[in-house]
Amino acid sequence: MGKTVQGRAVVIKKRKDYSKIKPGTILIAKEAHPDLVISARKIKGIAIEEDNKLCHAAIVAREFGIPILMGMEGIVKEFKTGEKIALDLERKTAYKIK
Amino acid sequence: MKNLLKETYLLDVGKISKSIERLWQEYQAVLDSKNPSWEAMNRARAILFFLGYFYPEKIALESLEKRVRFIRPKITIDDFFKALDGKDRKILGKYSKNKKFQKLSKFYLLVKGIKNRVENGSYLDEERFNRLYSKLKPREYF
Repeated sequence: MGKTVQGRAVVIKKRKDYSKIKPGTILIAKEAHPDLVISARKIKGIAIEEDNKLCHAAIVAREFGIPILMGMEGIVKEFKTGEKIALDLERKTAYKIK
Repeated sequence: MKNLLKETYLLDVGKISKSIERLWQEYQAVLDSKNPSWEAMNRARAILFFLGYFYPEKIALESLEKRVRFIRPKITIDDFFKALDGKDRKILGKYSKNKKFQKLSKFYLLVKGIKNRVENGSYLDEERFNRLYSKLKPREYF
């Protein structure tokens, strides 16, 4: 197992889902809205379907030093808000944990 | 938009900044006008797409990826972004007198500035745009 971060998933489907972010959140989204920056300090990790070095999620992750996995196709359908999950940053995978 | 592309090829950061502002003002003028036409609204839509997505995430990114390779001592594009966004003093200090690094930093921060611009409480004034756009959208539009 490589370097991992663990936390509770918050799956972003609508903009109002950003209000569900709590300390220790692993943010899961197709793409991120700039509103992400408001809760950035509470986010422990990001897994996102979008894959671009200049997308909002990538910029915010670098600004706040948040570990990020990009290009995670289909991840929004894989997890539900509230599930405990881990991001393996070296293997570029995300999985549920008990 | 064509000028902005040309100025990006030339990496004339001053002119790039002016062209971005010109496009932004044009976009705002459409949103501010009392009765914008459907055509004008789609001009605004094109500017919004161009400034919010296509220019920063495609054109500017490719330009940076291509040019960062010429910086000496070498730095990867990821480390370049990390240094600027994470305000890494060590790396920024190392390249503080490096003209290529400084020019590309200026360009990147300009691009990030337009990408993150907030107006009337929403990113790129999107909420106002969306409201006006849906009002004008013809029923048969597809």
